[in-house]
Amino acid sequence: MDSPAANAAFAKQIGIKFPLLSDMNRKMLKTYGILKGYDVQNETYEWALRANIIIDKQGIIQFVEEGDSAVDPNTALTMCTTLHKKEPAK
Amino acid sequence: MKRKIALGLLVAAAVSALPAAPHAGKSEVAKMTLKVGDTAPDFTLLSDQWKSVKLSDYRGKKNVFLAVYVLAFTGG
Repeated sequence: MDSPAANAAFAKQIGIKFPLLSDMNRKMLKTYGILKGYDVQNETYEWALRANIIIDKQGIIQFVEEGDSAVDPNTALTMCTTLHKKEPAK
Repeated sequence: MKRKIALGLLVAAAVSALPAAPHAGKSEVAKMTLKVGDTAPDFTLLSDQWKSVKLSDYRGKKNVFLAVYVLAFTGG
């Protein structure tokens, strides 16, 4: 599990400008169904799927991508752009 | 025109060091339970600045791009 301190070091290292969040109690991962248990030789191990999720201003999920394809963020980024264009200009 | 930028959130969730489990019982059927059109459940997570970040803080303000990135600091 990556702690906030580890995330801070990572953010500084690569110059990230958005929040890096830690799910230390795995609560969010469980709520979203991202944390999965796997049985290996009579022991259950848990780890998370890779996922990209886009949530609009109303709190509605607009896009979900999981597994290997979620490693590439380009599809999700295109969806973000589309979402912005749908909003009325201020 | 004021450009709106989606908030990017990265959940660095290095939960276990098992990169692949060809013999795992459930690996083939692992799927997220949420789908497009569902209301995103609220959550509170600790940021790298040790501040609580709530999804509901962005309701009505910004779109949120949530990237769950497992094993962020490894090659896996």
